[in-house]
Amino acid sequence: MRKAISIFILILTFVIIYFLQTNIFNWFTIAGVMPNLFIILVLFINLFVGIKVGIPFAVISGLYLDVIMGKSIGAYTIMFGLIAIVVGLLEKRFSKDSKITIILMVMAVTAIFETGIYGYQAFRLSGYIEPISFIIKLLIEIFYNVILTIILYPIMQKAGYKLESIFKQNEVLTRYF
Amino acid sequence: MNRSKKTSRIGIAITIVVLIVIVIVSNIKIEDMSNVENGFGIIVMPIQNGLTYLKNWISGNDSFFTNVGTLEEENKNLKEKNSELEKNLRELEVIKSENEVLKEYVNLKDKYTNYETIPGYVINKDISNFSDVVIINLGTRDGIRINMPVIAEEGLVGHVISVTETTAKVQTIVDTASTISCTISSSNDNLIARGTLDDESNLKATYIPTDATILEGDKIETSGLGGIYPRGVYIGTVKKVISTKNITDRYAIIQTAVDFKKLDTVLVITQ
Repeated sequence: MRKAISIFILILTFVIIYFLQTNIFNWFTIAGVMPNLFIILVLFINLFVGIKVGIPFAVISGLYLDVIMGKSIGAYTIMFGLIAIVVGLLEKRFSKDSKITIILMVMAVTAIFETGIYGYQAFRLSGYIEPISFIIKLLIEIFYNVILTIILYPIMQKAGYKLESIFKQNEVLTRYF
Repeated sequence: MNRSKKTSRIGIAITIVVLIVIVIVSNIKIEDMSNVENGFGIIVMPIQNGLTYLKNWISGNDSFFTNVGTLEEENKNLKEKNSELEKNLRELEVIKSENEVLKEYVNLKDKYTNYETIPGYVINKDISNFSDVVIINLGTRDGIRINMPVIAEEGLVGHVISVTETTAKVQTIVDTASTISCTISSSNDNLIARGTLDDESNLKATYIPTDATILEGDKIETSGLGGIYPRGVYIGTVKKVISTKNITDRYAIIQTAVDFKKLDTVLVITQ
């Protein structure tokens, strides 16, 4: 029951982020660049909840965004799925208590995700790339995501450990001993 | 007997004296009594003042309570009136914005009378920084199909790339995956304009013919080639021409007529 409620809350968070992303962050941009809270959400779920929930969540979210906003089906699905797998595999190698680690992970995941999406769309749809403009925008987006992570980190950590205790109750201690 | 006669005489004498005093006092003018009055006043007035103050305080409080009641009622009435006025104001605001949208529709329709169009508005914008797709509130039930061109009052917006029953996804001309065949309206020279990552209101025009004359301020419109956009839809003006060593590589920056950050109302050209 607690797991079901937690999953419901995660879905609700996704919906809230969707509305923030499509309505609010269009206005709150840094040099015309929006943050990407979906990346932070996928990272957060795979770090704290684990890949059993994290990968399906990432793939379904990606598919939803592909259908609703994407120019072709697949880009978001593949990249979110890929991020979920990578984070899930690396999760036990990092300390979630360290803010720096989380920030570095957000930076890396944002870079991988956006490069993947841009590359996929450029080669599949336009066949044209603008590397300098892309890097500038990417750096601004990474910066914006990092700022949001720093702001949200206390909530993320609190909620994360709560979710971890619900979803990984048998694994939490064995990780440390 | 002698004793009772004596007593009655004294009584008569006292009565006469009292009567004489009363007659004298009643004949004295009130002004001449001021000293006596002052003397009495010194003793009586402080007490009188105290009593008056007490009386006034009580009666004053009474009127205060009466006023509070009245004020409360007045306040309640005013609040009710205020909320009613606010409600009316909100209704007027809604009517005003509806009116503005309808006016925009009418203007748009008048402007593009050559085309059969359906008005709609943008309901969602892209979540990515690297693409520019918008969702509009028109779908298959409104007769919208893939590849239909979308315009706004100022000029070309893009074309429909996918459609559901109630919504349609529009790839704007500033999307990096968008390329449009267009012409310089003054010279009829063809060129290709594509979306860039640099600016949401700029297009990069390439494949400019070597013999073409292109100048800042030149108007650019669709050429009609490519099968999606009809000929003659205004796109924007040339903002800058960048010359290169090799003339075939020169390109121009086109400032789009549509402000995509403020894009709200659109028309889908159905025929």
